[in-house]
Amino acid sequence: MSTTPVYIVCSPRPLVGRTLIARLLSEFLLLQDGAVAAFDINLKEPSLLEYLPQITETAEVDNTFGKMALMDRVIVNDGVAKVIDLGFHAFDEFFTMSNEIGFMKEAARRGVTPVILFVADNDRVSLRGYATLREQIPPNRLFIVDNEYVLRGELPAVFARGKVVQIAALPAFLKTYIDRLTFSFTGYLRNEKDQSTELYQWIRRNYFSFRELGLHLMLQRS
Amino acid sequence: MAKPVVIVVGADKGGVGKTTVSRTLLDYFSANNVPTRAFDTESPRGTLRRFHPDITEIVDMTTASDQMKIFDTLSSASPSVTVIDVRAGLMSPALASLRDIGFLDAAKSGQITFAVFHILGPSIASLDEIAETANFMQGAKYFLVKNFINNTSFFEWDQATYNSYFHRIKDATELTIPKLNEMAYEQVEVASVPFLKFVANKRFNDDAANYSFVLRGYVRHWLANVWSEFDRIKLTDLVGPGSAEARGEGGI
Repeated sequence: MSTTPVYIVCSPRPLVGRTLIARLLSEFLLLQDGAVAAFDINLKEPSLLEYLPQITETAEVDNTFGKMALMDRVIVNDGVAKVIDLGFHAFDEFFTMSNEIGFMKEAARRGVTPVILFVADNDRVSLRGYATLREQIPPNRLFIVDNEYVLRGELPAVFARGKVVQIAALPAFLKTYIDRLTFSFTGYLRNEKDQSTELYQWIRRNYFSFRELGLHLMLQRS
Repeated sequence: MAKPVVIVVGADKGGVGKTTVSRTLLDYFSANNVPTRAFDTESPRGTLRRFHPDITEIVDMTTASDQMKIFDTLSSASPSVTVIDVRAGLMSPALASLRDIGFLDAAKSGQITFAVFHILGPSIASLDEIAETANFMQGAKYFLVKNFINNTSFFEWDQATYNSYFHRIKDATELTIPKLNEMAYEQVEVASVPFLKFVANKRFNDDAANYSFVLRGYVRHWLANVWSEFDRIKLTDLVGPGSAEARGEGGI
């Protein structure tokens, strides 16, 4: 039976590159599958909606209506991958709610594969957030994102035990370049003639990581 | 043959969640394969009957004919448990009637298992109700239910005052019903199905329904908490040891 992945990109900390990763992943899935549905649960940070308005809708988890509108959509096995950019302020509320309503179990029953991409940082809040997730999420559904731009040096040992998705650091000027609202990663790959540029290679490496992640999930199912 | 079990759910105050607790009891016994029948004394409307029409009958407990309908059939009726949802204000008169017809004496002598779920409201009046009810409780299992379903800031009594009332009744057991998300509660009301059917996403006739996954999740989580309270007080043991074996088959 085919399943529908739901990627939840999250961190209990602001400014760890979560929206960047959600953008990258959404563009990759759009390129790979031709369709993706993204949900932006951010009030206080640069948001996914501004970058990818065609495929993104806002969502909220601070009231029951918002939770229903979001979760009743993502629990459907419709073959369209979902990406949730979960703002730091909604981290606790979202996972408390998903634990209470039995999201992981119901997803397994319905052929939906939730994948948690936890963007690591080395502060206490992140460590505590990760510990909470480890209690709720099966290890094969919980991945660490090591964003080298944020987390310089070695990944703290507590995170290194899980499967890690590496995001290499970009030079500051390229970071400014990709932060423009009109910038598209896939558009850049399509239009850039010189495949040796640092940005080109960076996007390709990240797309490769996401492809590997997808294969890893597929192998787990088979 | 197992002794008949009569569970009275009541309070003298309205709107404290008597029917909600009765519904969770009926769901609990159903999940544990304990045959149950119910009487709804909210005549003629019958809120409990709306959710469990196949096993619920509306009665007027103040009339002798309906008292006969309930108590004269205890031994002959096949369900081993009878749940009576007593209308607001009728709790003390109902218990007085039970005393007058000799039912309380039968419970005291062990012919019948009798339990009372007294649903407490937030006001001091509820404490007076405890004192009033205490007079009838010899031979009965008495459960004081703190029901948080409607309001989180419910119980603000002075603990010492509460204890002084609580300890008047020997062997009384406290029970807590946690809060259920308002919207989830409302949707079950609208659906008019037992909590179990709502969780299973089914209509009354077992056809597939389309209830919100989030709201079903909230109800499932809440019902599991309520039932863990029922497990804690060993509710199925009231019916006899045989029923205990069936426990665990009805998980949610």
